[in-house]
Amino acid sequence: MGLAAVLFTSGADAAGTTVLYNDQIIAIDEVLSSPTDLWVSPEDLTRINGFVLKPEGACLEELCIPISQSEDSDLFVRRDGKGWINVTELARMVQQPFLSDTDAAVWSFGAIPLVRRPFLESAIAPDFALTDRKGKVVRLSDFRGKKVLIMTWASW
Amino acid sequence: MPVWQSIYEELKDQNFELISAAQDTGGEAKAGPIFDRAEVSYTAIVDVNHTISSLFNLVNVPSGVWINEEGRIVRIDEGTYTKSAVVLGNTIGHDGYVPALRDWIAKGDRSAFIMSPDEVVSNIRPRVADEELAEATFKLANYFFAMGDMESANAYWDKTQVLNPDSWNFHRQDWSFLAPAETTKNFLGKVNALTKPYYAPMDKLPEGSE
Repeated sequence: MGLAAVLFTSGADAAGTTVLYNDQIIAIDEVLSSPTDLWVSPEDLTRINGFVLKPEGACLEELCIPISQSEDSDLFVRRDGKGWINVTELARMVQQPFLSDTDAAVWSFGAIPLVRRPFLESAIAPDFALTDRKGKVVRLSDFRGKKVLIMTWASW
Repeated sequence: MPVWQSIYEELKDQNFELISAAQDTGGEAKAGPIFDRAEVSYTAIVDVNHTISSLFNLVNVPSGVWINEEGRIVRIDEGTYTKSAVVLGNTIGHDGYVPALRDWIAKGDRSAFIMSPDEVVSNIRPRVADEELAEATFKLANYFFAMGDMESANAYWDKTQVLNPDSWNFHRQDWSFLAPAETTKNFLGKVNALTKPYYAPMDKLPEGSE
């Protein structure tokens, strides 16, 4: 993975990368990419998966993945004074599945196991934000204080 | 679905909401008319990415999840049928499902038909690593479908089904874009080859009396 940092030097202006995560389609204007890795700005990292780059590392609530920002690594590089984070290496570290379609420059990320723990270990319902047929964003948490039956079906 | 509209009418004033999510990548064009015909007044969502199935580890439709006032799941991964039936040799649904729902709505935590966190956790369908990757792969396929690129969509739907062959939702969503005769042939072929139940067995329910 360490070589990724040199492989993508010509990709700094690659435009029109798309990231899919958590039912969102996130358009990223500027990335560094190699066939196996996707590097984004700290701001785009947060847009993608909520991780925030802090002095101690990339943090999602109480989870922090330590990242040194004073030297280049598999997780962080500095180019022309601008910092880039390897969102795919971060995914590997937290065992988040992902795949990409190189031709279309689309990367699709699955669930972060840590985020799933309250559901899988304590039966806490995961929240969601989905748009209903009236165009209103519906969150499960909107119904706190009520009993809810979620029912799936399909036309097929 | 008209049945669920009447159940909803009966229970909605008892601090209860029904959220119905059509697992339909084909979108409003496919699911909308069915919601309309049932004249539903509960929360209706066309969930093109099957987000609800993805989040709650569901592999079948219809499936239901009961969530209490504090956001804790008290039943999960069951067919929301109002009567049991034998379909193609598989028993689906339970006559006690709706009576149990009424009991829970009336009695809350004192209902005999809700499950402890440990019982719910043991009823959550586990996923291996490939099955987690299948979730991301399915969403990539749906992205291409939305962009009108059926060739790429089909390629990733195929990969999705290899990664998680036990999800009926993934198979049947893909087959829905085939000619009807082909859809039926694929579905019957897989049902007839089943070596495990179509749905997980249901327990902790009353004997149906209605």
